[in-house]
Amino acid sequence: MLTLSELIDVKGEKGNFEIDILKKPRYVDLDLCIGCGACAEKCPGKADDEYNEDLVKRKSVYVEYAQAVPLKYRIDPETCLKLTKDKCGNCEEACPTSAINFDDKEETVTIKTGSIILSPGYKPFDPSQFDNYQYSNYPNVVTAMEFERILSATGPTMGHITTMPKVPVNPKKKKDKELAAYRKDPKKIAWFQCVGSRDINKCDNAHCSSVCCMYAVKEAIISKEHAGDELDCSIFFMDMRTPGKDFEKYYNNAQEKHGINFIRSRVHSVTEVPGTHDLEVVYADEAGEIQKEIYDMVVLSVGLEIPEETRNLAEKLNIEMSPGGFCNTSTFDPVSSSVDGIYVAGAFNRPQDIPQSVLDASAAASAAGDDLSPARNTLTKKLEEVPRINVVGERPRIGVFICDCGSNIKGVVDCAHVTEYAKTLPYVEFADEPMFACSQDTQDKMVEYIKEKNLNRIVVAACTPKTHEPLFQETLENAGLNKYLFEMTNIRNHDSWVHKNNPDMATKKAKDLVRMAVSKAALSEPLKEEKIPMDERVMVVGGGMAGISAARSLSAQGYEVHIIEKQDRLGGEALKLHKTPKGEDIQKKLKSIAEDVNANDNIKVHLNTTIESTDGFVGNFKSRITENGDSSEIEYGAAVLATGATAHEPDEYGFGMDDRVVTSLDLDRMLIENSAELDKMNSATFIQCVGSRDTNRPYCSKICCTHSVHNAIELKTRKPDMDVFILYRDIRTYGENELLYKQARDLGVIFIRYDLENKPDVRTENGSLVIKARDHVLGQPLEIESDLLVLATAIVPRKDEKLANFFKVPLNEEGFFVEKHAKLGPAEFATDGVFICGSGHYPKPLDEAITQGKAAASRALTLLGKKDNLFTSGTVALVDQEKCSSCGVCVAICPYSAPSFLEEGRYSGKAEINPVLCKGCGLCVASCRSGALHLKGFNTDQIFSQIFALDEVV
Amino acid sequence: MPDKDIKIVSFLCNWCSYGAADLAGVSRLEYPADIRVIRIPCSGRMSPKFVLSAFREGADAVWVSG
Amino acid sequence: MGNNVTGSVAVIGGGISGMLSALDLANSGYYVYLVEKGPAIGGVMAQLDKTFPTNDCAM
Repeated sequence: MLTLSELIDVKGEKGNFEIDILKKPRYVDLDLCIGCGACAEKCPGKADDEYNEDLVKRKSVYVEYAQAVPLKYRIDPETCLKLTKDKCGNCEEACPTSAINFDDKEETVTIKTGSIILSPGYKPFDPSQFDNYQYSNYPNVVTAMEFERILSATGPTMGHITTMPKVPVNPKKKKDKELAAYRKDPKKIAWFQCVGSRDINKCDNAHCSSVCCMYAVKEAIISKEHAGDELDCSIFFMDMRTPGKDFEKYYNNAQEKHGINFIRSRVHSVTEVPGTHDLEVVYADEAGEIQKEIYDMVVLSVGLEIPEETRNLAEKLNIEMSPGGFCNTSTFDPVSSSVDGIYVAGAFNRPQDIPQSVLDASAAASAAGDDLSPARNTLTKKLEEVPRINVVGERPRIGVFICDCGSNIKGVVDCAHVTEYAKTLPYVEFADEPMFACSQDTQDKMVEYIKEKNLNRIVVAACTPKTHEPLFQETLENAGLNKYLFEMTNIRNHDSWVHKNNPDMATKKAKDLVRMAVSKAALSEPLKEEKIPMDERVMVVGGGMAGISAARSLSAQGYEVHIIEKQDRLGGEALKLHKTPKGEDIQKKLKSIAEDVNANDNIKVHLNTTIESTDGFVGNFKSRITENGDSSEIEYGAAVLATGATAHEPDEYGFGMDDRVVTSLDLDRMLIENSAELDKMNSATFIQCVGSRDTNRPYCSKICCTHSVHNAIELKTRKPDMDVFILYRDIRTYGENELLYKQARDLGVIFIRYDLENKPDVRTENGSLVIKARDHVLGQPLEIESDLLVLATAIVPRKDEKLANFFKVPLNEEGFFVEKHAKLGPAEFATDGVFICGSGHYPKPLDEAITQGKAAASRALTLLGKKDNLFTSGTVALVDQEKCSSCGVCVAICPYSAPSFLEEGRYSGKAEINPVLCKGCGLCVASCRSGALHLKGFNTDQIFSQIFALDEVV
Repeated sequence: MPDKDIKIVSFLCNWCSYGAADLAGVSRLEYPADIRVIRIPCSGRMSPKFVLSAFREGADAVWVSG
Repeated sequence: MGNNVTGSVAVIGGGISGMLSALDLANSGYYVYLVEKGPAIGGVMAQLDKTFPTNDCAM
């Protein structure tokens, strides 16, 4: 990991790049800094805190935030007194590990790599250039990023919302003091959408930033949670764009449950009410009427923008960009830049939210890896194994290490006393007080002590096991001890740091914690991590574009893949589509991809095939399939579910009664066939949200707005004098699809908005097709006579419960598969070894389906890469079958399907735990009414021993 | 009861509350030193037996968080 | 392309995309250089309070 570093130049080509990187000085030695913060305590320097959007000050030597990785301090050379004026140097004196180095210099390093992934991110739009919002002048106008910090528990006001957020909490300047006097809890807050997005008049950002609608709704909901239900929250918007998974529900809840006002409008200006700093908002409502309303605060929902430095870098590398500065990628290679071997992920690819960026990340990783598969595992290291010492049956001989952590613990807790005390505890053979338990020399000494004193259990009292337990466990293994013979207790984060004004109590607490840890350690047993055999083949269920993409990535890295497709050809729903929004010919591309797949020796395609049954778990799946009527069995180690979705069959707007009423896919077919019918038509109308965003299907189908807008452009281009109308509820052309929306309007496509309560009415009058709607601007009824009516139908999930049961994966109430984590695990299931991509997860356009397919492959690759190293955890549940009463509570309660009933043998009918599936949560253990379940590493007797050790036994 | 030694036993889930207690330290918050933390793998591991036994051992309060 | 390719990848930018790309690559057997211009990785997501639509903590 190289921090404070920037890429300055790239030479070479795909497979062998040479990259120059400029490393800026940190002035703090990364290896020596222990993140204790003694330096910052003594630092007199002050600077704006960028992490808190400059709303507060930080020291000149700082970490950005408490959870920063690496948790290493850095000196800001612009405000440090030593570096600017050669005064001070307090930090150097305060540092317990001599990590401060004022002589640190900038350097350029050259690294050699096979691929490059660019994920430089975005910057929030700076609204100070807009004079109508008065961001620079009014203290109560803030950006959404600033508001995000205000809402945060770690922010400047610890999550309390007040007005005057830009004025310091303890103002010193006269002007600030005057403003602070106006500070109050706001009663009314307004959000303005599309600030720096969808705007080419006041700025150059034609794109939709894709995330602002959702984050504004989120901020409004959280504001009400923080400030109480009386807080009035209003969101001023043009189109509400909530097309992601579960987003529409969130939007509906915001209106119905949380009472947030959504005002379809254009904001004209903001002015301060004289003498109050309250803000008067002047806006035009949907009918064009000017309205006025007073708010305490205004939050600007600023868009995403590609910073100048990223554009410059891209230009230098000859990477093609869109007008908005986003990286140009094709639909079929959605993470590849125009330069071979350079991939792109995140907001630089396109304006997108976190799960989409996460998918990009995995997809870019697999694409980058595809190029380098011959060199896989050539530069990574393998660890040597140390033979294990058998300690079973031995009396516990515990070694205790009480860490000083420099002065972090020792400054408060009397570590010497605690160490002496530890020596008096039962089974303790040895106790020591290292200055830094985590330092390499202490690790080496620990290994020596273990061997010399024959220790068989180790207790370390130091910082948190969440970061340091693996380090000490590795040390135990290096000494030949099983890593579960280790116990750690936290006398820093939970003691010295939080009781610094009460050293006596802190020392007493440390003794208690050490005693509790020792009594638990005495009962610890070596635990075995079972090796999981790994079948390296992968089964992809579904031969649509998502599944094909996953299969191709996996095969490129040398794995054998089976594609199961129930139709007689590959391609899925994409077979019915004409062109991508970028204008690429889908059928042509699909044909070449299918040929490529069929010629690939690593991919076995099973057409006309269905799955009859599936057994097994990660690394060891087995399915019975029926292929063209013949039954056979395939074995594999991981599965990718890419079963897709289908188009909704409409039952309204005269569909099925009048041939002129068709679906979007019908129109695509006409376009693919270049149907002569189309040339005869003089008018066409699209109706959006047919079957979406209603009571039956409350979700947004995501792709239909862009699809219809793009097809409207196709019709207009074929026949410019054709009248084309789009009847919509919100136009959701997110990201750079917004440019298509603009193009359509420029070509003369007429957009008419309708509400769910006032749906258009379609009837046949005197042989012509008439669509009746209401003009949303004039409020007048209008009639459109049309030669063609295209219904933008919903995307409907397959609700494949059988498949879900085979792989023990959940479906949501709409029938889409539920991924592991909405943000961070969007291409995998909670069930190990099963991955998800395509529209079975949620409706999505081709490029996003392909990205998710590649991402699923990447996630599967990380699993397959662990062959030979895949072990179960040692801390898993175990059934004592003698005691089991076969009640089934554990089977029913386990979220991971780890317990099951044995079917044969002596204990037939009793429960057993599959250690591969067990996550060690202990839910079953706590629920077992027979006391038959044990959780290794956190066993009932161990927890009891800690409870019993609460009070000192004299 | 300032003179009496109060003892609060807290069972903290490894994944959330235990981490939160760590963060309280990183942020240098201060709180009374009467808490004794027992780390559990998940609040699902909690059993009423642990609560009762903690009280029997003299705990003044038991706090389960996850 | 042949076998003489370098088995490492440079990831430029340590935000959520960069971090996860790096993790996936490292776990599939490639050496990764994660290059970040700031003092710590995490990107903009670390500044966020909660995330939609689950209102999970962004940290």
